[in-house]
Amino acid sequence: MELIPLLMFAVVCAALMVGYPVAFTLAGVALLFALIGMVSGTFDGNDLTFIPNRLFGIVGNTTLIAVPLFVFMGVMLEKSKVAEHLLTSMARLMGPLPGGLGIAIIIVGALLAASTGIVGATVVTMGLLALPSMLKLGYKPELASGLICATGTLGQIIPPSIALVLLGDVLSSSYQQAQLKMGLWSTTTISVGDLFVGALIPGLVLVALYIIYMLAHAMIRPQDAPAVDRTALGDEHGPLLPQVITGLLPPLALILVVLGSILTGTATPTEAAGVGAFGAMLLAMIKRQLSLTTLQEVMRATVRVTGMVFMILIGASVFSLVFRGFGGDDAVHQLFEHIPGGTFGATLMVMALIFLLGFILDFIEITFVVVPIVAPVLLAMGVDPIWLGVMIAVNLQTSFLTPPFGFALFYLRGVAPEQVATMQIYRGVVPFILIQLLMLGVLALWPALATWLPAQIYAQ
Amino acid sequence: MDIAHRILHRLDRFSLAFGHGVAWLALALVLLTSLIVLLRYAFDIGSIALQEGQLYVHASLFMLGIAYTLRCDEHVRVDIFYRRFSHNGRAWVDLLGTLLFLLPLCVLILVTCFDYVVVSWQRQEGSADAGGLPFVYVLKTLLLLMPTLLTVQALAEALRALLKLRYPQEPDADKPAGEGSAWN
Repeated sequence: MELIPLLMFAVVCAALMVGYPVAFTLAGVALLFALIGMVSGTFDGNDLTFIPNRLFGIVGNTTLIAVPLFVFMGVMLEKSKVAEHLLTSMARLMGPLPGGLGIAIIIVGALLAASTGIVGATVVTMGLLALPSMLKLGYKPELASGLICATGTLGQIIPPSIALVLLGDVLSSSYQQAQLKMGLWSTTTISVGDLFVGALIPGLVLVALYIIYMLAHAMIRPQDAPAVDRTALGDEHGPLLPQVITGLLPPLALILVVLGSILTGTATPTEAAGVGAFGAMLLAMIKRQLSLTTLQEVMRATVRVTGMVFMILIGASVFSLVFRGFGGDDAVHQLFEHIPGGTFGATLMVMALIFLLGFILDFIEITFVVVPIVAPVLLAMGVDPIWLGVMIAVNLQTSFLTPPFGFALFYLRGVAPEQVATMQIYRGVVPFILIQLLMLGVLALWPALATWLPAQIYAQ
Repeated sequence: MDIAHRILHRLDRFSLAFGHGVAWLALALVLLTSLIVLLRYAFDIGSIALQEGQLYVHASLFMLGIAYTLRCDEHVRVDIFYRRFSHNGRAWVDLLGTLLFLLPLCVLILVTCFDYVVVSWQRQEGSADAGGLPFVYVLKTLLLLMPTLLTVQALAEALRALLKLRYPQEPDADKPAGEGSAWN
């Protein structure tokens, strides 16, 4: 019966829309199906005895130790107001250029992506701090809000990012599975670090494309993005140079340490994350932002985010256990064999599916539920694992930007001034969605963009 | 305050206090990881016991933190419709979800993992690696602690939903003030 897995997937999607927490819904729906299956004799109840092993596998997963550490680092940096200082100093530095404020936003977004990696926090911070002043200084609302949404989502693609840690862990086990299925016994592996390295160039290319677009827009329609006199950007902060240095130096130093140690292969992502978290704490201390209350807030937020992530992992593993018990793997396999266009057709369909699911599901849920089902099949068809990971990440980033359901749009709507209409935000992100799609196309044509750098680092 | 409110208050307070205690593990994890890095790169000392200690702290952090996360209503929802539901609509979703999805899951984990953990205790199971920690049975106990704590808070959530259906003024679970959501 290969209808049951499909039905299960449809029911879980419908149940999720009701709004009960995703992690529990995933596991709960799977349990109900398992119960019905056991009563009707279509499901072997012994499959459920694998649960302790599965759960202990999650408890003992050493790769994912990087998750709470990166969360701690991101929240700590956010609380120590790194973003605010970065934003005000970069705005003063770049403001006098045509489209300068916009470029400042992009650079700040990219730096925050590489240090904190928290999408919502970036969009909210820039939406609160930069959007009102950009509007006041004559920026077109569409352009300003589109820019803020788009740069906020960079946190998912520019390493080190929590999203890539999760994706890397799932892809590495999918890759093992795929190779065993292909009959290769001397398997090669990929790691979270590989995915970080692979995502670096595509992430930077995206930043470059955003900047080029911003410059072009400012040249063709200067009234949309006027150059701004430096005095309008807050002379009360004192001389420019020291402000830029104190604003830029802390996040740059952290990025250099964290990313540098991973890229040169000296440290594992977990070690780098630990040092990053420690560094963020030191920075907060130096900036006199580290009180006992702040520390407690950061620690508690870390526990909540980590608890949320791992509960989804637990719920998703119960779901996939039952899904497999019903023969869901074979069903997906057969489905893929019937798609025209071979590997290309299959990849295209998976990308479209992930894009659509990105409207209702978070990065974590897609990574834990969808990727383990589809990735082994694609990888067994010969798709490169790092390339696939980067494609999925850019794809989801695009999905989170696309109206009307994109997450980034919700965050900005929540903090944008009333005068900015929701339709203006929607219109504003369109050029950036096109840039994202262009990036996906470029990646599809030249996979080397993602695979070249990891190969270089391996060769050493 | 009637007895139902008093029970809800007790359960809520328990999960909150427990979570605030668990939160210190986050700091411990940062410091322990930094220590491991320092020992490895500055003194060329690698300790399997320390590495496993790091895993124990990490595992306890999230397994013991899941119920606290529920208490703060921070398990992500697809809230496109949920946030537009009425007070009663949201209460129904939470009540039915807790009874149909969450509590059965807790029971399933408790039932399937019980023997697994008991056997580990009987054997006083230790690390498979030489130089590792001899406390794998303690680590495995997390598989029972997590669903137990979660059951406590799930009962609180069911009670909260019932109270919301009974009293139109009954508030949602209070989110930690000013801390906000850190994810996304």
